[in-house]
Amino acid sequence: MDQLKEDLKKHIIEQLNLEDIQVSDIADDTLLFNDEGLGLDSIDALELIVLLEKFYDIQVTKPEEGKEAFMSINTMADYISKRKAQQAV
Amino acid sequence: MSFITSYCHLTNESCLVNGQHIAGRDSESTDSWLKQLYKKQEIVYPKFYKMDMLSQTGFILTELLKKANPKLANAYQDDEIALLFANRFSSVDSDVRFQRSYQQTSPSPALFVYTLPNIVLGELAIYNKWYGENMFAVLPKFAADFYVSYAEILLSAGSEASLCGWLDIADEQIHAFLFFVEKEGEGLAFNSENLQKLAGTI
Repeated sequence: MDQLKEDLKKHIIEQLNLEDIQVSDIADDTLLFNDEGLGLDSIDALELIVLLEKFYDIQVTKPEEGKEAFMSINTMADYISKRKAQQAV
Repeated sequence: MSFITSYCHLTNESCLVNGQHIAGRDSESTDSWLKQLYKKQEIVYPKFYKMDMLSQTGFILTELLKKANPKLANAYQDDEIALLFANRFSSVDSDVRFQRSYQQTSPSPALFVYTLPNIVLGELAIYNKWYGENMFAVLPKFAADFYVSYAEILLSAGSEASLCGWLDIADEQIHAFLFFVEKEGEGLAFNSENLQKLAGTI
């Protein structure tokens, strides 16, 4: 799980061009869409959806799922793990 | 009569404000030229890194004009500054990058949003809270008469000032010229002849 979170942080920094941000700057519970967190916007939310499909083969088809899943690195990692488990069944 | 109260030029090698050389590209730096200029401005606006070159150029040059003309920040109401921009190549660099993104991998929303040239006007409006009239024209070449005619219309219809720009960017080659026009102020008379002279390096 820790490796998944580290990879997620790297992908987010790269995919969203967060050039001033280091992996160490993002705590697992940093709020992604809060100005006191990473301050992401609606376009970034679309990029996160693309990121999940590109790197994890996960399609976010229900908007309400994304709202929960994209709160923080912790919630994203949980979401990926659950979806992967469902895919494995 | 209106006046050109400040202006600046940017190419891939140098940046001039009111005709004075203020920065040159450091070819040893790993940062892009626009990023080098951004870091000199001592502002924190992470969205800069997500912008395409067209928006980054407009953003940086506007910051330089504001620095050269500090009263800009408070002299006008938020709907009194018009934005009047043009170029030859529209948003071609972003168009090509977006095309590659969907041909080679998956389409990138972050690239897609920059596939219109007038997005730079939105970036300037959001950051500066300038909600006046705006216009982005795609022209075959720099046309001083276009700016003079159009800005005079804007200035006679509610705008008190106009930030104008020629942002020619293609194949990562930058030829940009921004100038600020005010109804009152110190500067060159705003007419085609003076504008053509100032734009001489384009």
